[in-house]
Amino acid sequence: MTSPDRTTGPDPTPGADLRTEQLNLGYGEARVVHALDVALPAGRVTAVVGPNGCGKSTLLGALARLHTPQSGAVLLDGRALATLRPRDVARRIGLLPQDADAPDGLTVRDLVRYGRHPHQGLLRQWSPEDAAAVSQALAAADLHDLADRPLDTLSGGQRQRAWIAMVVAQETDVVLLDEPTSALDLGHQLEVLELVHDLARAGRTVVLVLHELSTACRYADHLVAMLDGRILAEGAPVDVVTPALVRELYGVEAVVLTDPVAGTPVVCPIRRVPAAERTRQPAPA
Amino acid sequence: MTATRPATAPATPPPGTWRVAAGGRSVLVDRRAALAATVLGVLVLLVVAVSLAIGTARLSVLDTLPAAFGTGETRDVLLVQKLRLPRVVAGVLVGGALGISGVLLQTLARNRLATPDTVGLNDGATAFAVASIVAVSTSLAPSALALVGAATAAALTLGLAGGAGQRGYRFLVVGLGVGAALGALTQLMLARAPIDAANQAFPWTVGSLNARAPLAIALLAAGLAVALPVAVVLGRQLRMLRLADAVVVGLGLRVARVRIAVIGVAVVTAGLAIAAAGPLGLVALIAPEMARKAAGPRSVAVVGSALAGALVVLLADLLGRTVAAPLELPVGIVTAVVGGPYLLWLLLTTRTRRIP
Repeated sequence: MTSPDRTTGPDPTPGADLRTEQLNLGYGEARVVHALDVALPAGRVTAVVGPNGCGKSTLLGALARLHTPQSGAVLLDGRALATLRPRDVARRIGLLPQDADAPDGLTVRDLVRYGRHPHQGLLRQWSPEDAAAVSQALAAADLHDLADRPLDTLSGGQRQRAWIAMVVAQETDVVLLDEPTSALDLGHQLEVLELVHDLARAGRTVVLVLHELSTACRYADHLVAMLDGRILAEGAPVDVVTPALVRELYGVEAVVLTDPVAGTPVVCPIRRVPAAERTRQPAPA
Repeated sequence: MTATRPATAPATPPPGTWRVAAGGRSVLVDRRAALAATVLGVLVLLVVAVSLAIGTARLSVLDTLPAAFGTGETRDVLLVQKLRLPRVVAGVLVGGALGISGVLLQTLARNRLATPDTVGLNDGATAFAVASIVAVSTSLAPSALALVGAATAAALTLGLAGGAGQRGYRFLVVGLGVGAALGALTQLMLARAPIDAANQAFPWTVGSLNARAPLAIALLAAGLAVALPVAVVLGRQLRMLRLADAVVVGLGLRVARVRIAVIGVAVVTAGLAIAAAGPLGLVALIAPEMARKAAGPRSVAVVGSALAGALVVLLADLLGRTVAAPLELPVGIVTAVVGGPYLLWLLLTTRTRRIP
């Protein structure tokens, strides 16, 4: 695996134009996302980062039709998601939520087959396309040898790859992943992130919610930093990630270094800035 | 991604399935589920034959089939057609309906303990049926009110739990509460009723196949004729419901719509079964469990559960008729006595859910 290289990748085929327009999201009275305008670059990896509760998972859910906007809209090729048929959306946008869980005894292949659901029907339960898509997804996630193993006998990284393979088999232009690497150790994290990177190389638009800022910088082409339901900064990681941003996002004083291999920003935290101090002296620009 | 594909790729079916295809249409059949359903079906037929043969007057199993169709000795024909066959048919229908209802509710709530017994349907049906006999002087048939009671309990549970599904455990806990309240109501009515009325109401508290209203059985048969195909067609969606909501919404399933359909079928099947035979405890819990063990994890075994339910009810009725003959134990008591330990065994032997 080479490090992410933004210049030699294939031209992104603009498969889907996914953006939000004055998007307001919330649960009842509580508003989680405020008047958000964001466009997701096609054929690139976008990472959404921010502190816990900043609305990043909610945003991702709205992009996948999981949450209905209180106002505003998510637009897919200019049309509001809410006006499209669920099945049509599912053929364009795939989602891997957090804490996905499968019934006992299900094998990797059984799980990946679920990804074909939007392409199937009562009398169209298994087409040559389905067979090919499942096979390709298993290959893409390097799971052919494990295809008939029950999921609960796999390692965390393998299991997460199986879930991603399910979304890959869905053959969507857009792939949304909510914290795909949480609860994985370093090796398994890379296992998943390299697969994600390959997906973008194959022309898909990938949007990830990530916790770890340095990881996001390394694997994303585009970074969206969210705080309190608003976008604080947006752009290439190398342009966006500064000590000031880290301080504002997480309340942490940090040094931002450059990754000696990939050339991307690496965040080295120094100390937590007490809340009182944060309000007294705003972060230097 | 489609560009890399050969134009005439074969539609090799996934392992463990048969693909039946014609003119661009295709259906996948899970081999293990099909085999399990076949075996259960054969077992049901066997037990039907034995049930027709065994009783105060014993017939040869071989004589029962012609007798059922009206040929053979007059005594045999009378015995089989008039006395035993209606009871056996009732058993098959009631068990089948309870099996379907159980597997649907379990899948919906993603919890194996969610059945018509536990979410209050049985208690609702019993309370209403008992009320029609002892408390309210109404001419409404207890069967009809049992059906209304089951639907009322379902509505109460769903309303108070705010739907099933994502909050499956909540659905279950609220159902237990609704069931307990309605059960208490039944007890109260029985305690205050004159002894004759209480006796008359007794079958509605245990479940029995003895001398049930033919109209209720006919209604149940009609209901099943609709519900079973619907449940089978819902099979693909049921498979989906076993995954987390966020996953299946992402896969384009109209979750709310599917849920309503599933709940509708579950309530109608359970309600009609209870209206026909009273509350048969544990059948709706044991039958899907048997079917699941037999059919494997890949599919939701709707047909298997129906057949397993029929099998359980027939066996329990056979046991109830023979074990203490000439006394007859109501089938509901047998299912409870045999089912309880089975349930315990099941809960104790099921492996822990996941490797951390």
